Amino acid sequence: MKKILVCLKQVPHKDARLDVRSDGSWIQDDNIKFEINDYDTYALEEALRLKDQGEAEVVVATVGPERAAQALRTALGMGADRAIHIWDDALAETDGLGIAKALAAAAKDENFDIIFTGLMSDDANCAVTGPMLAELLGIPHITAVVKTEFKNGDVEVERELEGGALEVASLPQPCLLAVQTGINEVRYASLKGIMQAKKKPLDKKDLGELGLDAAAVAPKLTVEKIFVPPKGAGAEIIEGPADEVASKLVGKIKELGLF
Amino acid sequence: MSKTLIVGEIQQGVLREATLELVAAARELGGDVVSLLIGNGIGELGEELAKQGGGKVLVADNPGFESYTADAHAQAMRKAVEAESPDLILISNTPNGWDVAPKVAAALDAGIVTDVFKIEQDGDEPVFTRRLFNGKFNGRFRISGTPRIATVQPGARAPYEGSDAGSVEALDVTAASRTKVVGVKTAEAGGHDLTKAEIIVSGGRGLAKPENFKEVLQPLVEALGAQMGASRPVVDAGWLPHNYQVGSSGQIVQPKLYIAVGISGAIQHLVGMKNSNYIIAINKDPDAPIFEVADLGVVGDLFEVIPALAKAVNEAKGN
Ligand SMILES: Cc1cc2nc3c(=O)[nH]c(=O)nc-3n(C[C@H](O)[C@H](O)[C@H](O)COP(=O)(O)OP(=O)(O)OC[C@H]3O[C@@H](n4cnc5c(N)ncnc54)[C@H](O)[C@@H]3O)c2cc1C
Ligand SMILES: Nc1ncnc2c1ncn2[C@@H]1O[C@H](COP(=O)(O)O)[C@@H](O)[C@H]1O
Repeated sequence: MKKILVCLKQVPHKDARLDVRSDGSWIQDDNIKFEINDYDTYALEEALRLKDQGEAEVVVATVGPERAAQALRTALGMGADRAIHIWDDALAETDGLGIAKALAAAAKDENFDIIFTGLMSDDANCAVTGPMLAELLGIPHITAVVKTEFKNGDVEVERELEGGALEVASLPQPCLLAVQTGINEVRYASLKGIMQAKKKPLDKKDLGELGLDAAAVAPKLTVEKIFVPPKGAGAEIIEGPADEVASKLVGKIKELGLF
Repeated sequence: MSKTLIVGEIQQGVLREATLELVAAARELGGDVVSLLIGNGIGELGEELAKQGGGKVLVADNPGFESYTADAHAQAMRKAVEAESPDLILISNTPNGWDVAPKVAAALDAGIVTDVFKIEQDGDEPVFTRRLFNGKFNGRFRISGTPRIATVQPGARAPYEGSDAGSVEALDVTAASRTKVVGVKTAEAGGHDLTKAEIIVSGGRGLAKPENFKEVLQPLVEALGAQMGASRPVVDAGWLPHNYQVGSSGQIVQPKLYIAVGISGAIQHLVGMKNSNYIIAINKDPDAPIFEVADLGVVGDLFEVIPALAKAVNEAKGN
């Protein structure tokens, strides 16, 4: 039976109002909604499709605070078989490498045949965790995957290049695939799935249980401050009733000589 | 004295302009600059980089580098790091760059910052600025320990334009890869060519439902005699075909007028349209990054503004 790992991150909901904390250290995230990172829902769907095709166990893992358990429960509701929830206060300030080390420690004795991650997280936008995890586990990886085909022992994938070009590549298993959005159509958790999910195992692990300590995940990348980017020099901003705005826009389009 | 290692990139047999952007960034920071070029039969390109960028150019030339693979390229980079002990490594944030850079960082247990668009020197420590939350915020970052690794956004700065007497040195390295490249499929042409459109009206996730492209956006497209475009999530969701997509993985357009409707302005979208002659953006979020490149920004609800605009255009045209 194939063993598949999907790494997923809980990120602020797409419709959440985001504001910078007063000290500029990160966003204000106390009272906002969270969801599974978009890219990771595609990664999970890709794994669940493999399971639909044959014997496979799909394990989901996240590194995140208490609230991140909800992301795992959603994934279990969609059809994953079990979940690993990694958290430790020492992980609060860590970077992509620290996350990858924690995930690698949790994965190393499981001998997964395939590991799926998203290409990028929608909050930090680093796009580093997947390739790092693969390197730490000593397996090959490929990013921006938009198509997969599983053959005997190999995976043939399409990797997105620029401007619509695609590279076709083949990787031996075990390997890690970092998935791009749009690769499939993501399912919803069914009511039955959500009921069943309550009985599925969700293991919590702290750093000690993973054989790591705070020093091992101390961040090398640190954020000094975050801020709203300055508006473009030429940008004129208008607001007001729609018909007034519309007539200003029409005036502008005329000025441009476009009708 | 600090040392920066630049990883150059060859695309379809030529040096990418992004490589000379890295040269410019490295030279601005000061210190020694060493470049690495990886490929098969690339002696001349090595000479060219030495002439255009100056400094020492390490050339890793091996049939195993014929196609890019993370495995093979990581070997060359690690060999160069061993030979040169750089303090900073700069790699372009291209599909190959973002694929390999984190692998090398993990192998070296080094800190990495990706897709930076600005590097400043604070004393002898570089400070990196990059986008976060798909462009909604920017962040300033520091890396502890060396080598520091940064991937740099292509097009974020001007390329180096000098001519120097650099030198070329061969870097002897194996190029084994578990991943095999089978081939490349180029973009399918035709159907809906946005590159020749005078006016493009593009819709994003803000349109919320596929029907709204027909009911809300299409009337404006028709009134203006424009072509319709879209952001990636619209195409991912199957609401419009891929040849409507504007951006780094879609079409790069430069119309006389680009109207972005309910599009936040992530960098991958901006690179596809920021060189349009005139940009109007309509978004309900005053902090949306699309306003960074807009000439005229409307902060408002598209479901009110777009129908009003379609009506006003029709009236002005006497339709
Ligand atoms: C390798 C790579 C390649 C990519 N290539 C592309 C590409 O080619 N093209 C591309 O577009 N993206 C691309 N992306 C994705 C990109 O990062 C963004 O995710 C995407 O551009 C966001 O699309 P959007 O602006 O439509 O959606 P969102 O970011 O969700 O923005 C929706 C916007 O609509 C506004 N809005 C919502 N409701 C209303 C309303 N009623 N009235 C007015 N405004 C409203 C919101 O304020 C928000 O700003 C790529 C990403 C990666 C990693
Ligand atoms: N905290 C996390 N827990 C589990 N997986 C993660 C975490 N952070 C990142 N990942 C995975 O790594 C991918 C890339 O994230 P990033 O490197 O943060 O852009 C995500 O799409 C996830 O699949």
